[in-house]
Parts: sequence; C-alpha cells; structure tokens
Amino acid sequence: MPPSERLRLEHVLEMVSALEAVILRSFGPEGGQVLFTRNTGQAMLSRSGTRILSALHLEHPLARMVVECVWKHSRATGDGSKTFILLLASLLRMISKAISRELGASHTYGFTEAAKAAAAPHLANKLLELASSDLDDLVAVNVVPYGFCLSLEDFTTHRLLLASFFHTRVSHVHCSYLSELTCEMLNRWKHKSDLPCVSLQFLSDNFPALHTPVSGFPVSSSRLIEGQVIHRDFATARLPNKQQPVKAAVFTNYMQPVLLGPGDVLKVGYGDGVTEQNTMVHFSAWTERSLESVIAKLQSLGVSLLLSAVKQSDAALALATQAHMSLVECVSEEELSLFMQLSGVTPVSRGCTIQAKHVAALSFCRPILLGAHRYVHVAFCEAAETCELNPCSLVICGPGEEQTDQYICAIRDAVCMLMTTWEPKHTSEAAASHGTVQSNKSPASSDMTTQSTANEPYVLKKCVLEPGCVIPAGGTFEFLLSKALLNSSLPSVSQLLANALLSVPRQIYSHSPKLFLQAQTRIMSLVQNPSNSVRLKESTSESTVDLGLESVACKCQLILAVVQCATSVLRVDTVLHAHTALHTRSKKHTNSSQDSTEDEEED
Amino acid sequence: MSRVVKKTPSVCTDMPLNNAEVCAKLHLMKELLRSCYGPTGRLKHIRNNIGGRVTTSSSSSVLLPALSSSQPLLNLIKSSILNHISRFSDCGLFAAIFCLSLLEHVRQHELRENLAIKVNKHCLSLCTSYLQREDCACRVKVNFCSSQNLMTLAGSIISSKPACLLTEAEKHHISTMVVRAFLQTIPCSTPGPVTLGHTVTVTIVGLRVLDSAVFPGLLVEMYDPFDQTDSSSGPLRTVLFSTSLAGDLAELGDGTIEVDPDVDTDLQVLNQLLELGKQLVEDEVRLCVCQKVIHPVLQQYLRSHGVVVLERLGMALMEPLSMLAGTQPVATLHARILSTAYGRVKNLSTKQFGFKTMLHLQPEGEAAVCTMVLCHRNETMLDELKVVCQKAEHGLRLTLKEPSALLGGGCTETHLSAYVKHKGQQEASESAAGLGCSPAEFLLGVKVFCRSLDMVARSLEHDGGTSVIDLNHAHHWTVSAGATKEDMVGGLGLCGCGLVENSPSTKWTFLNTEYAEFCPAPLLGDSCRKPTVLDSFTAKVNALQVAVETANLVLDVRYIIEDVN
Repeated sequence: MPPSERLRLEHVLEMVSALEAVILRSFGPEGGQVLFTRNTGQAMLSRSGTRILSALHLEHPLARMVVECVWKHSRATGDGSKTFILLLASLLRMISKAISRELGASHTYGFTEAAKAAAAPHLANKLLELASSDLDDLVAVNVVPYGFCLSLEDFTTHRLLLASFFHTRVSHVHCSYLSELTCEMLNRWKHKSDLPCVSLQFLSDNFPALHTPVSGFPVSSSRLIEGQVIHRDFATARLPNKQQPVKAAVFTNYMQPVLLGPGDVLKVGYGDGVTEQNTMVHFSAWTERSLESVIAKLQSLGVSLLLSAVKQSDAALALATQAHMSLVECVSEEELSLFMQLSGVTPVSRGCTIQAKHVAALSFCRPILLGAHRYVHVAFCEAAETCELNPCSLVICGPGEEQTDQYICAIRDAVCMLMTTWEPKHTSEAAASHGTVQSNKSPASSDMTTQSTANEPYVLKKCVLEPGCVIPAGGTFEFLLSKALLNSSLPSVSQLLANALLSVPRQIYSHSPKLFLQAQTRIMSLVQNPSNSVRLKESTSESTVDLGLESVACKCQLILAVVQCATSVLRVDTVLHAHTALHTRSKKHTNSSQDSTEDEEED
Repeated sequence: MSRVVKKTPSVCTDMPLNNAEVCAKLHLMKELLRSCYGPTGRLKHIRNNIGGRVTTSSSSSVLLPALSSSQPLLNLIKSSILNHISRFSDCGLFAAIFCLSLLEHVRQHELRENLAIKVNKHCLSLCTSYLQREDCACRVKVNFCSSQNLMTLAGSIISSKPACLLTEAEKHHISTMVVRAFLQTIPCSTPGPVTLGHTVTVTIVGLRVLDSAVFPGLLVEMYDPFDQTDSSSGPLRTVLFSTSLAGDLAELGDGTIEVDPDVDTDLQVLNQLLELGKQLVEDEVRLCVCQKVIHPVLQQYLRSHGVVVLERLGMALMEPLSMLAGTQPVATLHARILSTAYGRVKNLSTKQFGFKTMLHLQPEGEAAVCTMVLCHRNETMLDELKVVCQKAEHGLRLTLKEPSALLGGGCTETHLSAYVKHKGQQEASESAAGLGCSPAEFLLGVKVFCRSLDMVARSLEHDGGTSVIDLNHAHHWTVSAGATKEDMVGGLGLCGCGLVENSPSTKWTFLNTEYAEFCPAPLLGDSCRKPTVLDSFTAKVNALQVAVETANLVLDVRYIIEDVN
C-alpha cells in the first residue's frame, strides 16, 4: 500500500502562505525584483508571479497544482499572477476562520476532525457556484459604472493602462517609457477597419519575429524601427547597393538542385566505357548549370535580395555575389512567414518555376547594427494589403540579457492582457433575459443610479461588461466588489469572498495603513453618494499618476480562477505517494507529516 | 530511467542587500577592481585551478570574465559591465567601480531602496543632459583637422593599461600607429554611406616594441618559399576562391554513389581542376588565392606557369582581401570565370619579422585595408598590447559618430559631481516633490550619488596619496603621500587632465570630506593648454548610464532564487 499523506486545511494554508511570502516581495508599488539563476548558471530577473513560482521547483504536489493553476491563468490573461496567490491565501484563511468559528459555536466535540474536513470543500463549492453564476452580473452592476471604456482612437488611456501594468512587472523608473513605446507600437500596427483584437492577435502571434533584444545599452535606447528586422547577416560580403526599391525573393529550399535524395543510388562508370556523359564531373556540372539558370532568371526579374530558409551551397553564394545579389541564409521560419504576410509574396520552392508572383517589392534593404550583431533591415512598399498598417519592429535595450528578457516578457504579456481586455463578451444570460442590453459603446452608463442597485442587485440596468472596460487601479475594483458582495442578498458565503478581496488593497498600501483607510473612505463615499460617480471618473484623469488603470475583464477572470483553484485544492483530501523504483526517498517525506493521533486512519 | 534525477528545491535568499555575506562579496569585488584602475593601477595575475597559462592584466575585459562567483548578484553586475565592454571597449572599470560604490554608499547611508533608485535616475538624467549641452565644461570637441586630439585619446587609452609595460617613447610610437591605422581605414572617395575598412592585427613575439609598424594592404603569412624574382612586379590579376580546390567530390545529395572499379574518379576530378587552371593561365591570372586547400598538382601547374599561389587563407582574411583586390570570391568549378570576378593587386613583396616571413599584398589605388604588426618582448605583454590597441582603435572609431571627448584623469568625475551637487541643492524642493520624498531625503540621495562619483576619481590614486579638488573648476588633483601644506599651495602643477594650472589663489578641498556646494566654473576659452588625458565620450556616457541602471537593478532585487540542480 502506498504511503499516504492526509491533507488538512492547515497544511494547505501553510503552503499557500509560504508562496505568498515569496510573492509579496515583488507585489505592489513598493515591490522589487526577484533574481533567479537557472541550473545552467544563467541568471534571470523577474517580477512576474508565474516565473517566480515556477523557478522555485516546489516538491509538494499540492503546491505544484497551485503553480499550475497560476500558470494557466496567466497564460490566458497575461496578468494577475501575484494577486492570484494573494487572493487564494486570504480566501483560504477566511474559510479556515469561518470553519473554526462555526465549530467553536456548535460545541460538538468528537466529530471535529470529520466536520472540519467536510466543511471546507463544502464552503468552496458554494463559493464556486456563486462566482460562476453571479459574479459577472455583480461586477456589471456594481463596478462597471465606476469605470469607463477605453476608446479605440484615444491611446492615452491605453498608455495609462499599460503603465500600471508595467508598474507591476518591471522596475518603476522605466514603466512610463516602456508603456509609451508599447502604445506607439500598437498604434502603428492597428488596422483602422478591424477590431483591436485582430491586430493584437497578430502582434502576439508574430511577437518573436518582431523584437530584437540588445544588451549593453541603457533602457532608454529602446526604440521602434520601421519595417522588419531579419535576425541574420548577409551571407554575401557585398552589401546591397542603394537602388530603390529593392526586389526580393524567398527560397525555402536549395537553389542548387539536389541530385540524389536519401536512398537514391547513382551508378557511375558502368556500361560501355567511360564517356563524357557518364562521369561524376558531368553530374556536378549539370547542377551548376541549372543553378546558373536560376540566377539568370532572377536577374531578369530584377531581384537583388534573396532570403533563404536553408544554407545555400558555396557555388550559389558565389554566383549570387557575381550577379550583384545579396543573400540572407538560414532565416527562421517565423521571420519568413511574417515577411511573406507583410509583402504578400509566395516562396519559391523549385528554382525552375520562378514567376513574378515570387518577387516582392521592398522600399529598402540595408544592414543594421544592433549590439554585437549585424542584421538585415527591410521595409515594405505600400502594397494593397498593408496600406493601413505601418509595420515596425521593436528594439529592446538593457544593460544585460536578464533585463532585456524581462522587458520582452512584460511586453508580450501586456499584449495578452490587452487581448483579454478587448475580448468580445457574450452578453450574460441574465442581462439578455431582461432585454435591456444596450450596444451603445459610449460611456453613458454613468447616468445610471447606483442607489437602487445597492438594494436590488438583480435588477439589471443597461450596464454590461463591455470590451475595453477599465477601472482606476489601487484597489478600487476590490473595494467596490467587496462592498457589493456584503450588501447583496446572496448566500452568506459571499461574505468570505468580500473579506478576502480586501486583502489585496491592504497589501497594496502595506507601507502605510493610513493610505488604505483613505482610499477605502474615498471609494465608499462615492458609493454612498451616487452623484459622485461621475466625479470618480473625472478625478481619475487627474490622479491617475499614482493610481493608474486596470482591466475589469482580467479581474473578473482572476477571481473566477482563484475560486476554482481553491475548490480544487480543498477537494483533495489525501496525497498518495506512489512507489516506483525511482522514488524510494519519498517515504521519509511522508513520515514527518503523518499524525499518529488521527483516529480515521483505517486505510 | 536510472538517469532521471529528482529535482531539488531551489535555494532562496531574502533581501540580499541586507545580507552581510553578500555585501562583503560586493565590497571585495569593488576593492579588487579599484586597485586596477588607471595608469598606476596594480596588475593581476590570472591563473586557472589546473595550472594553465598565467595572464597578467589590469583590463576589465580580461579580469571580469576570469572572476567567477557563486553569487548571482555579482554575476548580474559582471554581465552588465561585460556587455558594455563588448559594445564600447572602454570605461569598463569605471562603470564597475561606480556601480559598486553606488551600492555601497546607498547601504552606508541607509537610504530606502525605491528612493535611491529614483534619485539615482534623477541624478543620471542631470549628468547626461549636462554632458550633451553646448556649454558643458568637461567636454572637448574632437577636431579632425589635426591629429592632436586623436593622439591624446589613443594615448590615454594605451597608458591606462599598465600591463603593456611601455616606456614613454613606446607609448607614443604605439599611439601614433593606432591613429595612422585608424585614418587608413576611412575610405576617402566613396560617395554615400561610408563603410569603414579593416585593420588586421598580426602579432610577433620577441621583437622590440619600436619595431611595430602599420602597412597599407595585407600581410599574409607564408608557409612555402616564395620566389620573388619575376612575378612580383606590376599590377597582378588576382582570383579568389572560396571553395576547396583539393578535388573533393561535389555535393550531389544524400544518396549513395556506386562507382565502377575501373573508373578513376579522382583523375576525372583532377582533370577538371586542371581545366580550371588552364583557364586561369589563359586569363593571365598571376595571383591565385584560396580560402581552403588547393590540390598539390594544381598548385604545381599554376606555379610552373608563373602564378603565385596562396592557399589556406582562412575565413577571417577573405573579406579584407576581396576588399583590397576588388575581387568577387569564386566557388564554381565548371562554369567559366567572369572577367568581373577578377581583381588586381598592385605589388607583392616579402617582409621578414623575426623568424616570420610575410607576403605583403599592396592595394592598387586606395583601399581601406591595413595591417598592424605589433611586436613585444613576451607573449603576456603582447596579448595585453593587442587588446589595448583594438580598444584604442574602437575608441577612435566612436569619435566618428560623436566628435567629442571627455576630460580624463578624474576631472570629468569631480566636475560632474560638483555640478550635480550644486544643481541638486538648487532644485531640492521641486525635485523632491516630483519624486515623492522629502527634500532632506532627496539631498541624501544626491550626496550618495556624488560621493560615488568622487570615489571613482579617488580610485586613480594607488600610492597612498590623497585626492583634492579645486573650488573653482572642480578639477581633480592628486597630492603625493609625503606632501605638506606648503607643497599643496605651490607645487601641485597641473590637474588630472592637464587643463588647469595651479595658481596661488586656488582654494582646495579634500575629496573625501564634506564641502559646501558651488557651481563649477567653465574654463576660459583663451587658455592655450591642451588636455593631456582624454576619455572617449560615447563610451563614458554609456558607461555612466549602464552603471546607474545596473545599480538600480541590483537595488531593486528583493529575493534570489537559485536553482541548484
């Protein structure tokens, strides 16, 4: 029988609290970075919760489960991994407190352990029910009116949202610079006709090909450059001449034909004596001649830049040089596909079939020196498909690789976070049944009265969680939602969630409790006095320097994910340490945690 | 399966900067690097644990890679500095010492980390904007009409590396050479964007330093004796092969080739090569160079027809050579070589350096390729000399982008420090409000920044002397160990950079003491003195930025997780 470890709420809480202690170092406005070294000796810097947690290499299976949940959540939304652990810890704490209070009141001795073991999953299940059914509506009614929608035209609001996002992810002194850079990049990549989701999706798909890390320079040297950077150097020594525009062709295969595939057999010299047609020399001459014809064909089409996915032969290189063409070899698949998307060209697979459709027109092609490497920098002519886009690449500078890495991750996650924010919402069923859904995107929902909602939360007004909805940061969301939960007629379990939520602003203002109370009073007074709801919005534009903005959609997903995680953690009651030849040591770990006084140890 | 090992949990350090052990390591590294700084810096022997070659150096680009530490914070600083060096070659020790003293001073003054980060950033922007200003008093314009500034710049870089063990005359000789090589690699006549040429460095052990020289064109080491009698005069038609001419089989693919035992494939391939040789002779080629190996039979054939053959050139020399001769590398064996692929070399001659015989290829017309032959008495010093010359050349190239230089000898540091102190005091209340702290806290942060800058200037002195600054221009002076008060008044001579002369009216203060802030006065324009020590502007500004950013980064680290698997 495998050794088992009975899990109790205290153990779970202890473990999550340990994770919380690590996370708190980098949480909030006073938080710092975490430096970690890989087993290869490579150092990395991060303030991202997911990275920190996965670097810990935790052994406990439950801790690993929690980390897995965090990882999944942040993969989906790009944000909120630190708040995740914080909320989870405080939710578990609330549950544990509630259970001990209940048991203390009932004075039923003897069944304590069993009752305790049953109570926690029960509460968690109820919470999950609440979160999955009523949370969206609660947020829509009680929180959304205090927020507003980002507009597609005005990117200053995006800048604020990004700035507060970067504030949680990179060093404080660089966040405004990074957010401006990211905004500028979004602006340039924006399709005027499409939804923001489309361009964001495109950016996140092609991000590896769109950025270049450069170490050894200050962060303020980071910039956007027009066109695309192909992260390879010219294979030909001669740099492209200055004629514009440049014509380019893409090769995915060898230009010099490969005579023998794997498994083919070439018989040389058999038959009637050695003739001119039957020697090795003849075959290599043939491949060279066909290569020459390919080059000649390209020359007749005016091509002067060749991009190749593979390493071409020496002969191809030399012939291209003589034909005044520049050759770039071993271009990665992602970069080639981006290049083909932006230029609208199809790759040449066989040298003999080159046509005009294989030739792309570029406005320039030149070498660019970024850090230690020389790369190829191309820009696209205004073709029909790309006329609305202004393609650009991101150059991220930092003193060391650790820092450039961190910034790149932060920007990638920022794009992911924006995608979640702009994700088109399905109208919730409750709202649809009331038939008061309004598709008007203007932030006119401000005129709704909040007084009535405080008393009757199920009477839905015209506010629905719309894509692009944001709310001032600094705990506003948590204050509002916890207030709403407390006032609602929902089951008592909602009190738990309400109290747990308050732990987030408490940590944000952990350096001065006075600020916490001030923030709470300010927001509560707004709720009491509905005419002020407009003022909150106005005040944000002035005081956003310290507050910033955060996405409501991300927050909703976060709470749901936390409750789900809590439920799944609490449902587990025993860990079985399966014996395999490999894990002979695992026995000693269980011994320490086994409690001999437990009376349910029949199995 | 037996190879699968369970992963052990990571080792964590909370608040590393409050950890005494970490701080001791940072201090040790700072002291180590400080002792190497400047022209009188102490040298370090580097030897690995299995008794490999001993390297002697005081240069950051040699020292830092050799220092391996188990402390991730140190590695973080090290990698930042190394990245800076790989981009700018110069000011690595400056950046490292400044970064480490910032960290130490922040800790000594018990500043809050987040506050220190903000103030450091603020002071840095004060410095960089001042350095970019027109009226900046510690910047010198580099005038390309005279070589004087260039010579000073190269000379400063060379003399800051004492491990070369050069005398004054040798220093002068080497800096002249470096400047000459630099000027030769700038093409004159090409319109449009300029591509800088190449300097190829050849090292020879055992000769005097003064035998070092710069040659236009390329020097290629000779393995075979070369008959100089007939083939070396007049322009030579040149061909350059980038593929092997050894008679390897062509690449036909991955399949199998079955050859009839009666067929002599080698002979067929050789015949093909000889065909090629015949074409070369017909085209009157007189110099045939190959990156890889040439078949001995083909070599013999070409030689017998008066063609000079050079094989195994190597990848590194391909580009300079094709630039020098104007050739395009050939890689086809069957096709006819186009006449455009040929190039020309003006002259061939042999040069003898000690026991090495080199073939000198001179360009026809102007080509931005030159060869620097460096000689020194032993290998260790020669290695250092080579590193230094490359640094100096890089430093000179940087002036092309930004034709400025900064005063050396610690004067830039003390001047900047006085400026920041003055500016900080003036704008204390506004800046403090902007950063969200009290003016007193802000001033403490500024003090930490200035102290750290002063610390770098003080690191230049290693012989027990003290550093002082004048209260007029805030330049840096050193007082030798035994000097008295009277000596200070009359005998200090020139400041670190050689721009300011001592006068009886000058007031002094020691660098490690508190002094009242003052606005450093710019030098009057009519001074006929030229600075004797200059630092590269681009490199120093970047070093300043990298040092502050790295320090800020380290201050921001609150937790370390080490994977020990």
